[in-house]
Amino acid sequence: MREKKDKEATDSLSLALKNRFLPNLEYLLQGSILDTAVEHLMHRLKGLCDNVDTSPETFHDLEVCMSLRQPNSPQPLLLLRVRRALGRDAPFQLRYLGQPEVDMRRPTLVRSCMDCACTNGILDFLSEMGFRLEFEYIAKGYMFRKGRMKITVSKLIKIVPGKQQDMANEPISQSYIVELSVVAPTGQENVGEEMRVFAEQLKPLVQLEKIDYKRLTNIP
Amino acid sequence: MGVTVLQPYPLPEGKSGAHIMDHLGKRLLSLGASHAGQFLVDCETFISTPQHGTPARAVHVLHNSEYPASTFSIIDNGTGKQVAIVADNIFDLLMLKMTSIFTSKKQTKIESRGARFEYGDFVIKLGSVTMMEHFKGILIEIEYRPCVTLSYCWEMIREMLQGFLGISVAKEYPTYFTTQTIMNAMGQQQLHAKQNDIYEPMDTVKQYLEHFTNYRKHVQLHGSLASSAASISSVMLPSTVGMGRP
Repeated sequence: MREKKDKEATDSLSLALKNRFLPNLEYLLQGSILDTAVEHLMHRLKGLCDNVDTSPETFHDLEVCMSLRQPNSPQPLLLLRVRRALGRDAPFQLRYLGQPEVDMRRPTLVRSCMDCACTNGILDFLSEMGFRLEFEYIAKGYMFRKGRMKITVSKLIKIVPGKQQDMANEPISQSYIVELSVVAPTGQENVGEEMRVFAEQLKPLVQLEKIDYKRLTNIP
Repeated sequence: MGVTVLQPYPLPEGKSGAHIMDHLGKRLLSLGASHAGQFLVDCETFISTPQHGTPARAVHVLHNSEYPASTFSIIDNGTGKQVAIVADNIFDLLMLKMTSIFTSKKQTKIESRGARFEYGDFVIKLGSVTMMEHFKGILIEIEYRPCVTLSYCWEMIREMLQGFLGISVAKEYPTYFTTQTIMNAMGQQQLHAKQNDIYEPMDTVKQYLEHFTNYRKHVQLHGSLASSAASISSVMLPSTVGMGRP
């Protein structure tokens, strides 16, 4: 009883971490598909995924990435993403993503991940903390579920500053980004395998891969 | 969810915190209130290392056992502007990612904990405030649940407070409700009376923060009572049911 009384929020969080029931790792595979072929992929996903009866869930989100920097340091100390549903009243989602793991034996990219729902003052809050805007974009698309896996097919839209948002909707490319992800507690190694099997079923429409972010940053 | 008023209880000369809490608890029970678990409100403050040109910012992170899945956070940017958010508990872990810029002032970690009572539509919490295990004072939280606007129920809350505390409470609305500043459309700060606003859980948390800040500033007068504070809960509480936090 004494033990229960003394417990505070941070203690219960560390307990959740220790006992491995806090989902804090994201397993991710990514790919892309041309606009012209996306219909085929949608059909395939409707057939494969859980929500067969309903049409896929749509989303239209604005994602803002904010960074906290230490003075005289080129690398940001921390990046946080704030996601907000456009045209729907929902809590803002604050997301932390860690550095991807470089373990080549794993079938998917693995990175630490923390999701936290917040009230709408979060952007103002982060600015006051010293966070600065890094980049922002709109993601619009469809979400499917298969067990604990989440599959999103989304169009990324550039935000042109100084214009009305609807007027300035300018797709970044002529393709959709396809993401397959699971957020799970540490130590659930079979997640990756499950995802690899699912990704196989989407071939040859879309090639879901483990993207090496380090390689991307080296492109001039 | 209703309207909550936080009232510090003046500690009479020569009486220990434990004694007063015991006394108030018994008084509530004999009035017909029933004991309904315990509660805890805690506050930790993170301070940024001041950089040239910018004042030190303070991020207060609070938890309230009445809302066990939430973390409340208020940032004070050092120039009078405050922004408050309510987030999931995970926010605590995010704060730990920023420790190189925002460092926790562990020595000012402060909390109010004690017994929770229910009496008809009222919830009364007798909190003993401790900072680093040192007893700081008594805070009484009283909530009137069927109403969400202070101006409609202040008289009733006041009467209830006076009735069981045996002290007189000023007729005016508590200062928290009358001295809030808000930002107007022009970006200027102006005084805004809150007694007609819809009450939110954040208001309870802000009242705690106000009192905690006062206690922190306050020179430790009741140091000798520190040891008695720790024993309060075991002295007066028959059970610890319903803490709410998993």
